[in-house]
Amino acid sequence: MNFLAASIESLGAKVVGWFTVAYGMFAFLAKAGMLLLDRTTWNRATFDVVIKQVYFTAVQILHVFLAYALVISWLIITIILSTARDFGLTEFASEMTIRVLVLELLPFLTALFIALRSGSAINTEVALMQVNNELDALAHCKVPPMQFEFLPRLIGGVISVVTLAGLAGLIALLQGYLSIYGISAAGFEPYTRTIAKIFDFQIMAGLIAKCALFGLAVTLIPVTAGLETPKKLFMVPVSVLRGMMRVFFAIVAIEVVSLALKYI
Amino acid sequence: MTALPGDVARVALDLPLRANLSALDNIALIPLYQRHFSAAESARQAQAMLDQLGHADIALLRDPDMTPSQRFVTKLARAIILKRPRLVIDRPGAMLYDVPYPEFIRQLAAQDAMAGTWEIFDFSWNQALYQA
Repeated sequence: MNFLAASIESLGAKVVGWFTVAYGMFAFLAKAGMLLLDRTTWNRATFDVVIKQVYFTAVQILHVFLAYALVISWLIITIILSTARDFGLTEFASEMTIRVLVLELLPFLTALFIALRSGSAINTEVALMQVNNELDALAHCKVPPMQFEFLPRLIGGVISVVTLAGLAGLIALLQGYLSIYGISAAGFEPYTRTIAKIFDFQIMAGLIAKCALFGLAVTLIPVTAGLETPKKLFMVPVSVLRGMMRVFFAIVAIEVVSLALKYI
Repeated sequence: MTALPGDVARVALDLPLRANLSALDNIALIPLYQRHFSAAESARQAQAMLDQLGHADIALLRDPDMTPSQRFVTKLARAIILKRPRLVIDRPGAMLYDVPYPEFIRQLAAQDAMAGTWEIFDFSWNQALYQA
């Protein structure tokens, strides 16, 4: 009986914890959204920090990311093409390549890439700012941390994931064409027709929304996890661990919901 | 410390600099975000403040690269540029452990452009250091 009560209590505490975390995140997001709509937010200083964030998150890693996208795309395209040939489904190869790579795998891998590189850095930095009282110091100087530190990171994350996923998608489309038709203009018409058939308005809007949600997940969750850190230095690794686990689950959840909406 | 009135600019150990910003950027944040000056003008004002305090050379240093006295000067510059009616230096011994600090603060306060009164809150047992 005691064991049952303890289990229910522990489960209840966990559920309450999850709700508290979710509430914290949505409250933070609402605050950021309100600030985003406020005209006074959009001064030169905020704009400069957003540019800096996009540079650190997307531009600085562009060469590594492009190499990574090229290798992944080449591997997946080769697997799809050889499998399609084996089963006599060559005419579906281009559509399958676009659906698997451009719509699903590349945005997902882009989000993971940004989460591992920038999400973990954001989580650590915000946790250290929290532990070292840097946020209190900014508040004392009446420099708004949301406007100066957090909002540019959210915007930068969304812009970076959307553009990098778009770029990786374009590379995959080009590689797909070259792998299927080679260096010849003969396949241009059927290939572009397949692209046009797949990318209707709904799919495009869904893809952009999914990438934007990925971008939000890889920045919002690390920021809120960092802000939750108790003011003890040894809690910083725990905060990063929790934050990155939440980011991973959020990315998977977004992908699963997107797949379910598309195919079920 | 949260009970302190809003007209006080504090220089204290528990109000650190932003670690990933240079001394200049830490000071320039104030005119940039509070008075909405351009980035260039804010940086100019911040540099002028460091010049007035006689530490122009620390402008590009980040917090981990500064000595305790350089860090103190940056915090002091940040507090002065806030332009609040009162400037409080809270337990300077905790921040200035590499120099004889009453003399160091006296020298900073004696710079030509410094105005107003700086209030120093320190432990009573350190009183003798100020009378030396």
